[in-house]
Amino acid sequence: MSVTTRALGDALRARLGPDGATDDPASRAAAAVDGWQPRWVARPRSLEEAAHVLALAHDEGLAVLPRGSGSAQGLGGPPDRADVVLDLARLDAVLEHSPDDLTVTVQAGVTAGALAAALAARRQTLPLDPPGWPRRTLGGIGATAASGPLRLRYGTMRDLLLGVRFIQADGVTTWGGAKVVKSVTGYDVPKLLVGSLGTLGVIGELTLRLHPLSEVEATGLLLLPSPEAAQDTVARIVDSTLQPNRLEWLDPGALAACRLPTAPAALAISIGSVESAVRAQHAAIAEIATAAGARVETVGPAFWRTYDRTLAETGSTLLRVATLTSRLTPTLNAIRSALGAEASFIVTACAPLGVLRVAIDAGDPTALGQAIERLRAFVAEDEGSVVIERGPIALRTLVDPWGPVPAGALELMRILKREFDPRRSLNPGRFVGGI
Amino acid sequence: MPLHQGFLDELRGIVGTDALVLTTEGRMTYECDMHTFYKGAPDAVVLPARAEQVQAVVRLCRRAKVPIVPRGSGTGLIGGAMAAHGGVMVSMTRMTAVLDVDLPNRCATVQPGLINLWLTHAVAERGWFFAPDPSSQMVSSIGGNVSTNAGGPHCLKYGITTNHVLGLEMVTGAGELVRLGGKVAERPGYDLTGVAVGSEGTFGLVTAITVRLTHTPEAVKTALAAFRSMVDASEAVSAIIAAGMIPAALEMLDEAIIKAINAGTGAGFPEGAGAVLLIELDGPRAEVETQAQRAAEICRQRGAISVSVARDDAERALLWKGRKEAAGAVGRLTAAYLLQDAVVPRSKLPQIMRELVSIAERHRLLIANVFHAGDGNLHPLICYDDRDPDQLARAKQANDELLHACIALGGSVTGEHGIGADKCQSLTLQFAEADLNFMYRLRGAFDPDRLMNPGKLLPTHPACGEGFRPARPVLPAGTWV
Repeated sequence: MSVTTRALGDALRARLGPDGATDDPASRAAAAVDGWQPRWVARPRSLEEAAHVLALAHDEGLAVLPRGSGSAQGLGGPPDRADVVLDLARLDAVLEHSPDDLTVTVQAGVTAGALAAALAARRQTLPLDPPGWPRRTLGGIGATAASGPLRLRYGTMRDLLLGVRFIQADGVTTWGGAKVVKSVTGYDVPKLLVGSLGTLGVIGELTLRLHPLSEVEATGLLLLPSPEAAQDTVARIVDSTLQPNRLEWLDPGALAACRLPTAPAALAISIGSVESAVRAQHAAIAEIATAAGARVETVGPAFWRTYDRTLAETGSTLLRVATLTSRLTPTLNAIRSALGAEASFIVTACAPLGVLRVAIDAGDPTALGQAIERLRAFVAEDEGSVVIERGPIALRTLVDPWGPVPAGALELMRILKREFDPRRSLNPGRFVGGI
Repeated sequence: MPLHQGFLDELRGIVGTDALVLTTEGRMTYECDMHTFYKGAPDAVVLPARAEQVQAVVRLCRRAKVPIVPRGSGTGLIGGAMAAHGGVMVSMTRMTAVLDVDLPNRCATVQPGLINLWLTHAVAERGWFFAPDPSSQMVSSIGGNVSTNAGGPHCLKYGITTNHVLGLEMVTGAGELVRLGGKVAERPGYDLTGVAVGSEGTFGLVTAITVRLTHTPEAVKTALAAFRSMVDASEAVSAIIAAGMIPAALEMLDEAIIKAINAGTGAGFPEGAGAVLLIELDGPRAEVETQAQRAAEICRQRGAISVSVARDDAERALLWKGRKEAAGAVGRLTAAYLLQDAVVPRSKLPQIMRELVSIAERHRLLIANVFHAGDGNLHPLICYDDRDPDQLARAKQANDELLHACIALGGSVTGEHGIGADKCQSLTLQFAEADLNFMYRLRGAFDPDRLMNPGKLLPTHPACGEGFRPARPVLPAGTWV
């Protein structure tokens, strides 16, 4: 049974109210994804309303694009279809903070910044800091598995999501995981949702593990004489008892963008602990740095805000390159040679995990596409990957934004998609392998 | 279901005569794991040496519709590694190699039969360890740890098995050999590694595992605090966490266990203590020293009758001695017991301890406790005399009431042991039909014929087999044409 545009709009408004579902041109234009203007923008105020939208869309064969803050809309392939943008920003309640349990339950539209503010009084934190994190929603961070410098010590959403309430493609509200910090009851469904880009279900509520805020956190900047010296320094820190909160690699372009003194390579290292331990560890780092011929500077806490802004705002294209920690320097060289001498880009990395971010200023999409393929061939040796985290639609149409997925694993992913979203209502075409 | 001769010949052709167990005595040694309530001998046991053999066995069984049961060391506590429906058991005890150690990239790849502690032994001299440390780590296999997503005392700080698994090679129930994840920290696509860990062999058979290794901390400090009651000790646990510390381990022992341990080789726990809290902090030396003092201070404020902080490794070993002897000491208390693994939010520990005492009194049973207090993971041992059917009935009733009490406080059925055959009917306490329906379908993606470890992890539905029916929103009728 098909539905006329008018009647479906009536059905949405009947449940969500006049401001909960709109087809006015300005809202539709603002919610457009890769040039696709949805026919409606739905802004549910409750999980029930969101479930209603999905059930309706499923029955009518409509494509639904979930949306949080909109900051990751440039991730993935252009959608095959777009009928309803499901804007979750109004699901913005912190439902339950249990400080003694170090857990919190939030709705998907709560931003990481709002949660940080709510937790600050109890000196607790959800240590997730993907680029531009203060305004990103937790549902969005979950769906994209976005991460930042703090993943070094605390892991990613994968490690912090204890339980999740999500809505399946057909509108069935489902719970996976637990509300306690330790549980192996049933399959680990939260893991499946993290990073699935809303293609198996729409995250509605998250129960998260919190950490105590470091009593003192201090950051040192090591300015190194060469990338090789930086690689050696990373290796020495990894193979030590030091416990950094973050250890980021900055290339000369990144140093300039952060308005820091220049060097062939730099490492920004933050240590969080009690005061005496912070001092002792920075002393140990200074020793390693001196041996590597580095100049050590102390930077204030504002550095990480500047760094975050730089990561969030630099470059019209952002690549995430995952490789081995021991291969940072060769990968940097491969990035340089693939992009060419004239290209304008900066590179940063979560060094001990081998995850590099390449922010590139506008360039010819064809040339950039070829560079990405060359880089993919390079990291393939170590089973690494190159994902376009954001980029112009022309680029993402030319090259697969995700890159290849091994055949056996991809087949399992397709089976899961067919099982849980057989009509391809959820974000069709945007995920790996055209899922 | 006896297996056909032709099937057995094919099985022998795949693994060889010396890797196939068919005798009754031989099969009986595989009839249960450490939860001896649940018994089911397999019709055949194979001991493959390579992934290709595992795949060939799965394909053969699939063709013949014969159930497959994976088994590591058989040290599970949930009736997981036993053949409830007969079939072929695949024992991983011949696949024990360390395939690769890559310290610059902080990882290792091992075969599933490798004993947990052996991996740490292989890298300890160079300053590294494998963090998941179930109490069985001297005998349990890493494949088994992956299967149950095992925890351990130190997972309070370091996380459970899943937080340390980077990649898996597995033969799915469909007979496909797939590689999921790997050494590199992230890769595009669904996190199939994450969802396969803890699937208790119902997705397939893991044939290789890539794990994250952890650097040995600079310092370790252990303190032992004795309290008058479990409730006092529980309040100290909450206070330590609330003060912004995440100890490496935070273990609690109750009066019954303390007495049993003291009566044995004797760790010399303070007499008259109603509960003992073992607190271990590790990390940078200056942090550990400061936090150990603070934790000790918190315990004193919360009414601890004594607090001792180990000054060296020898003293530290002495403090752990009692905890490590707990399992053996239980034998001095009782011939038989039921073991729970439920979890409560840690702030609810004082409440559940009061409840536990009243359940024990109501059923006239001894309930001894030694557990991971830091993350609220209880391990009450409900003691009974197995010659007395009435006591067993009361023990079961107490077990049930305790589980319900934990769930009512917002807890979970199992923290680290897993579901297996033992707890599958309890899943309905924690999950609605829609949730269970999702899990059934998830399993089907990996194991379409549902031949992998049948009868484990998921409950059977009384009304419609395995088809739980989820609730959909009711759409208003007649709104559209």
